[in-house]
Amino acid sequence: MSISEKMIGTVAVLTIKGNLTGEPDTGKLRDRIYSLLEEGFNKIVLDLKGMRYVSSTGLGTFIAALTSVRNKGGDLRLANVTEKVESLFVITQLVKVFKTYDTLERAVASYKL
Amino acid sequence: MVAMAKKISKTVLSRTDHLLEVRDFVSEAARQFGFSEEDVANIVLAVDEACTNIIKHAYQYAPDKEINIAIVRNNGTFEVKIKDNGKNFNPDALKRPDLQRNLTHHRRGGLGVYLMRKLMDKVEYNFEAGHSNEVSLVKYLSKKQSLIKK
Repeated sequence: MSISEKMIGTVAVLTIKGNLTGEPDTGKLRDRIYSLLEEGFNKIVLDLKGMRYVSSTGLGTFIAALTSVRNKGGDLRLANVTEKVESLFVITQLVKVFKTYDTLERAVASYKL
Repeated sequence: MVAMAKKISKTVLSRTDHLLEVRDFVSEAARQFGFSEEDVANIVLAVDEACTNIIKHAYQYAPDKEINIAIVRNNGTFEVKIKDNGKNFNPDALKRPDLQRNLTHHRRGGLGVYLMRKLMDKVEYNFEAGHSNEVSLVKYLSKKQSLIKK
Protein backbone atom coordinates (compact mmCIF):
# COMPACT_ATOMS: atom_id res chain seq x y z
CA MET A 1 0.00 0.00 0.00
CA SER A 2 1.18 3.54 -0.67
CA ILE A 3 -0.02 6.84 0.75
CA SER A 4 0.61 10.18 -0.90
CA GLU A 5 -0.32 13.50 0.62
CA LYS A 6 -1.27 16.91 -0.75
CA MET A 7 -2.87 20.06 0.61
CA ILE A 8 -5.76 21.76 -1.19
CA GLY A 9 -6.27 24.99 0.74
CA THR A 10 -6.65 23.88 4.36
CA VAL A 11 -7.83 20.38 3.42
CA ALA A 12 -5.32 17.52 3.64
CA VAL A 13 -5.82 14.83 0.99
CA LEU A 14 -4.35 11.39 1.54
CA THR A 15 -4.41 9.19 -1.56
CA ILE A 16 -4.29 5.50 -0.74
CA LYS A 17 -3.26 2.94 -3.34
CA GLY A 18 -3.26 -0.84 -2.98
CA ASN A 19 -4.56 -3.01 -0.16
CA LEU A 20 -5.30 -2.08 3.45
CA THR A 21 -5.42 -5.33 5.37
CA GLY A 22 -3.31 -4.93 8.51
CA GLU A 23 0.08 -3.96 9.87
CA PRO A 24 2.33 -2.31 8.84
CA ASP A 25 -0.03 -0.50 6.44
CA THR A 26 -2.74 0.31 8.99
CA GLY A 27 -0.07 1.76 11.32
CA LYS A 28 1.31 3.85 8.46
CA LEU A 29 -2.13 5.37 7.77
CA ARG A 30 -2.81 5.94 11.49
CA ASP A 31 0.57 7.67 11.97
CA ARG A 32 -0.01 9.90 8.93
CA ILE A 33 -3.39 11.02 10.27
CA TYR A 34 -2.08 11.61 13.80
CA SER A 35 0.79 13.71 12.35
CA LEU A 36 -1.72 15.85 10.44
CA LEU A 37 -3.74 16.38 13.63
CA GLU A 38 -0.60 17.35 15.55
CA GLU A 39 0.23 19.85 12.82
CA GLY A 40 -3.25 21.35 13.25
CA PHE A 41 -4.93 19.96 10.13
CA ASN A 42 -8.29 18.45 10.99
CA LYS A 43 -10.05 18.59 7.62
CA ILE A 44 -8.99 15.39 5.93
CA VAL A 45 -10.08 13.59 2.76
CA LEU A 46 -9.08 10.03 1.97
CA ASP A 47 -9.02 9.45 -1.78
CA LEU A 48 -9.71 5.73 -2.19
CA LYS A 49 -9.73 5.53 -6.00
CA GLY A 50 -6.73 3.23 -6.01
CA MET A 51 -7.78 1.10 -3.04
CA ARG A 52 -8.26 -2.46 -4.17
CA TYR A 53 -8.86 -4.42 -0.99
CA VAL A 54 -9.73 -3.59 2.60
CA SER A 55 -10.22 -5.99 5.50
CA SER A 56 -12.03 -5.52 8.82
CA THR A 57 -8.70 -4.41 10.30
CA GLY A 58 -8.50 -1.70 7.62
CA LEU A 59 -12.12 -0.66 8.26
CA GLY A 60 -11.34 -0.55 12.00
CA THR A 61 -8.45 1.81 11.28
CA PHE A 62 -10.83 4.12 9.40
CA ILE A 63 -13.19 4.12 12.40
CA ALA A 64 -10.39 4.86 14.88
CA ALA A 65 -9.04 7.64 12.63
CA LEU A 66 -12.49 9.18 12.24
CA THR A 67 -12.95 9.21 16.03
CA SER A 68 -9.58 10.93 16.55
CA VAL A 69 -10.24 13.55 13.87
CA ARG A 70 -13.76 14.32 15.14
CA ASN A 71 -12.45 14.58 18.70
CA LYS A 72 -10.19 17.36 17.40
CA GLY A 73 -13.20 19.15 15.94
CA GLY A 74 -12.59 18.09 12.35
CA ASP A 75 -13.78 15.42 9.97
CA LEU A 76 -12.47 12.60 7.78
CA ARG A 77 -14.33 12.32 4.49
CA LEU A 78 -13.99 9.79 1.72
CA ALA A 79 -13.75 10.31 -2.03
CA ASN A 80 -13.81 7.93 -5.01
CA VAL A 81 -14.81 4.85 -3.02
CA THR A 82 -14.69 1.89 -5.43
CA GLU A 83 -17.73 -0.35 -5.83
CA LYS A 84 -16.05 -3.24 -4.04
CA VAL A 85 -15.00 -1.16 -1.04
CA GLU A 86 -18.36 0.64 -0.99
CA SER A 87 -20.21 -2.68 -0.66
CA LEU A 88 -18.21 -3.36 2.53
CA PHE A 89 -19.14 0.07 3.89
CA VAL A 90 -22.79 -0.81 3.21
CA ILE A 91 -22.57 -4.27 4.85
CA THR A 92 -20.89 -2.86 7.96
CA GLN A 93 -23.18 0.20 7.99
CA LEU A 94 -20.17 2.49 7.89
CA VAL A 95 -21.97 4.43 5.14
CA LYS A 96 -24.04 5.93 7.95
CA VAL A 97 -20.93 7.11 9.75
CA PHE A 98 -18.67 8.46 6.98
CA LYS A 99 -19.47 11.23 4.52
CA THR A 100 -18.57 9.96 1.06
CA TYR A 101 -18.30 11.80 -2.25
CA ASP A 102 -18.11 10.71 -5.88
CA THR A 103 -15.10 12.88 -6.67
CA LEU A 104 -12.14 14.36 -4.84
CA GLU A 105 -13.23 17.87 -5.85
CA ARG A 106 -16.65 17.40 -4.23
CA ALA A 107 -15.13 15.99 -1.05
CA VAL A 108 -12.75 18.95 -0.74
CA ALA A 109 -15.50 21.45 -1.59
CA SER A 110 -17.78 19.94 1.07
CA TYR A 111 -15.61 21.55 3.77
CA LYS A 112 -16.45 25.00 2.41
CA LEU A 113 -20.21 24.50 2.83
CA MET B 1 -12.12 -30.40 -20.19
CA VAL B 2 -10.01 -31.05 -17.08
CA ALA B 3 -12.06 -32.46 -14.17
CA MET B 4 -12.08 -30.32 -11.04
CA ALA B 5 -10.84 -32.06 -7.88
CA LYS B 6 -13.60 -32.07 -5.26
CA LYS B 7 -11.24 -31.38 -2.43
CA ILE B 8 -8.02 -29.43 -2.43
CA SER B 9 -6.06 -28.19 0.53
CA LYS B 10 -3.15 -26.04 1.57
CA THR B 11 -1.27 -25.50 4.82
CA VAL B 12 0.45 -22.23 5.65
CA LEU B 13 2.30 -20.85 8.65
CA SER B 14 0.46 -18.48 10.99
CA ARG B 15 1.90 -15.25 9.61
CA THR B 16 0.03 -12.45 7.86
CA ASP B 17 2.60 -12.43 5.04
CA HIS B 18 1.25 -15.86 4.03
CA LEU B 19 -2.26 -14.50 3.53
CA LEU B 20 -1.56 -13.43 -0.04
CA GLU B 21 -0.81 -17.07 -0.88
CA VAL B 22 -4.12 -18.09 0.75
CA ARG B 23 -6.02 -15.41 -1.19
CA ASP B 24 -4.58 -16.65 -4.50
CA PHE B 25 -5.39 -20.28 -3.63
CA VAL B 26 -9.01 -19.49 -2.71
CA SER B 27 -9.70 -17.02 -5.52
CA GLU B 28 -8.45 -19.41 -8.19
CA ALA B 29 -10.65 -22.24 -6.86
CA ALA B 30 -13.72 -20.00 -6.51
CA ARG B 31 -13.29 -18.54 -10.00
CA GLN B 32 -12.85 -22.01 -11.46
CA PHE B 33 -16.06 -23.08 -9.70
CA GLY B 34 -18.00 -20.40 -11.59
CA PHE B 35 -18.50 -17.59 -9.09
CA SER B 36 -18.79 -13.97 -10.26
CA GLU B 37 -15.85 -11.67 -9.52
CA GLU B 38 -17.91 -10.04 -6.74
CA ASP B 39 -18.55 -13.39 -5.07
CA VAL B 40 -14.90 -14.39 -5.50
CA ALA B 41 -13.85 -11.16 -3.73
CA ASN B 42 -16.36 -11.79 -0.91
CA ILE B 43 -15.23 -15.39 -0.36
CA VAL B 44 -11.56 -14.35 -0.35
CA LEU B 45 -12.26 -11.59 2.17
CA ALA B 46 -14.19 -13.97 4.46
CA VAL B 47 -11.29 -16.49 4.37
CA ASP B 48 -8.83 -13.68 4.99
CA GLU B 49 -10.83 -12.56 8.05
CA ALA B 50 -10.98 -16.14 9.40
CA CYS B 51 -7.21 -16.62 9.00
CA THR B 52 -6.50 -13.21 10.58
CA ASN B 53 -8.65 -14.19 13.57
CA ILE B 54 -6.68 -17.44 13.93
CA ILE B 55 -3.34 -15.59 13.81
CA LYS B 56 -4.51 -12.95 16.31
CA HIS B 57 -6.72 -14.91 18.71
CA ALA B 58 -6.04 -18.65 18.41
CA TYR B 59 -2.25 -18.42 17.97
CA GLN B 60 -1.80 -14.95 19.50
CA TYR B 61 0.72 -14.00 16.81
CA ALA B 62 2.98 -17.07 17.26
CA PRO B 63 4.52 -17.24 13.76
CA ASP B 64 5.37 -20.95 13.57
CA LYS B 65 1.94 -22.59 13.89
CA GLU B 66 -0.06 -24.16 11.08
CA ILE B 67 -3.32 -23.13 9.42
CA ASN B 68 -4.91 -25.68 7.11
CA ILE B 69 -7.30 -24.49 4.42
CA ALA B 70 -9.37 -27.16 2.66
CA ILE B 71 -11.79 -26.40 -0.16
CA VAL B 72 -14.60 -28.86 -0.85
CA ARG B 73 -16.61 -28.37 -4.05
CA ASN B 74 -19.80 -30.34 -4.38
CA ASN B 75 -22.60 -29.62 -6.88
CA GLY B 76 -23.44 -25.98 -6.19
CA THR B 77 -21.76 -25.80 -2.79
CA PHE B 78 -18.35 -24.27 -2.20
CA GLU B 79 -17.05 -24.89 1.31
CA VAL B 80 -13.82 -23.61 2.82
CA LYS B 81 -12.77 -25.39 6.03
CA ILE B 82 -10.07 -23.62 7.99
CA LYS B 83 -8.41 -25.52 10.79
CA ASP B 84 -5.97 -24.52 13.54
CA ASN B 85 -4.62 -26.02 16.74
CA GLY B 86 -4.64 -22.86 18.81
CA LYS B 87 -6.65 -21.49 21.66
CA ASN B 88 -10.42 -22.06 21.43
CA PHE B 89 -12.34 -19.04 20.25
CA ASN B 90 -16.07 -18.64 20.73
CA PRO B 91 -17.45 -16.29 18.08
CA ASP B 92 -20.97 -16.58 19.49
CA ALA B 93 -19.74 -14.69 22.53
CA LEU B 94 -19.14 -11.74 20.23
CA LYS B 95 -21.98 -9.30 20.00
CA ARG B 96 -22.81 -7.58 16.75
CA PRO B 97 -20.42 -4.61 16.59
CA ASP B 98 -21.96 -1.39 17.82
CA LEU B 99 -20.58 1.20 15.43
CA GLN B 100 -21.70 4.18 17.48
CA ARG B 101 -19.96 2.72 20.54
CA ASN B 102 -16.88 1.90 18.47
CA LEU B 103 -16.75 5.52 17.40
CA THR B 104 -16.97 6.98 20.89
CA HIS B 105 -14.77 4.40 22.62
CA HIS B 106 -12.02 3.89 20.00
CA ARG B 107 -13.06 0.21 19.79
CA ARG B 108 -12.47 -1.71 16.59
CA GLY B 109 -13.33 -5.30 17.42
CA GLY B 110 -16.01 -7.64 16.16
CA LEU B 111 -16.07 -6.49 12.56
CA GLY B 112 -14.28 -9.55 11.15
CA VAL B 113 -16.76 -12.19 12.35
CA TYR B 114 -19.66 -9.90 11.42
CA LEU B 115 -18.26 -9.49 7.90
CA MET B 116 -17.74 -13.25 7.49
CA ARG B 117 -21.36 -13.91 8.39
CA LYS B 118 -22.58 -11.25 5.99
CA LEU B 119 -20.37 -12.26 3.08
CA MET B 120 -21.00 -16.04 3.21
CA ASP B 121 -24.22 -18.09 3.10
CA LYS B 122 -23.28 -20.22 6.13
CA VAL B 123 -20.59 -19.94 8.80
CA GLU B 124 -20.09 -22.71 11.35
CA TYR B 125 -17.54 -23.30 14.08
CA ASN B 126 -16.48 -26.69 15.44
CA PHE B 127 -14.22 -27.10 18.41
CA GLU B 128 -12.43 -30.05 19.89
CA ALA B 129 -11.57 -28.87 23.38
CA GLY B 130 -7.81 -28.64 23.77
CA HIS B 131 -7.18 -29.93 20.24
CA SER B 132 -8.37 -27.97 17.28
CA ASN B 133 -10.77 -25.37 15.94
CA GLU B 134 -12.43 -25.50 12.57
CA VAL B 135 -14.44 -22.82 10.87
CA SER B 136 -16.52 -23.77 7.86
CA LEU B 137 -17.42 -21.04 5.35
CA VAL B 138 -20.04 -21.99 2.77
CA LYS B 139 -21.16 -20.16 -0.35
CA TYR B 140 -23.74 -21.50 -2.77
CA LEU B 141 -23.45 -21.00 -6.50
CA SER B 142 -26.59 -19.24 -7.72
CA LYS B 143 -28.71 -21.00 -10.37
CA LYS B 144 -27.78 -18.30 -12.88
CA GLN B 145 -24.06 -18.87 -12.27
CA SER B 146 -24.57 -22.66 -12.51
CA LEU B 147 -26.15 -22.25 -15.95
CA ILE B 148 -23.28 -20.09 -17.17
CA LYS B 149 -20.88 -22.71 -15.83
CA LYS B 150 -22.59 -25.46 -17.86
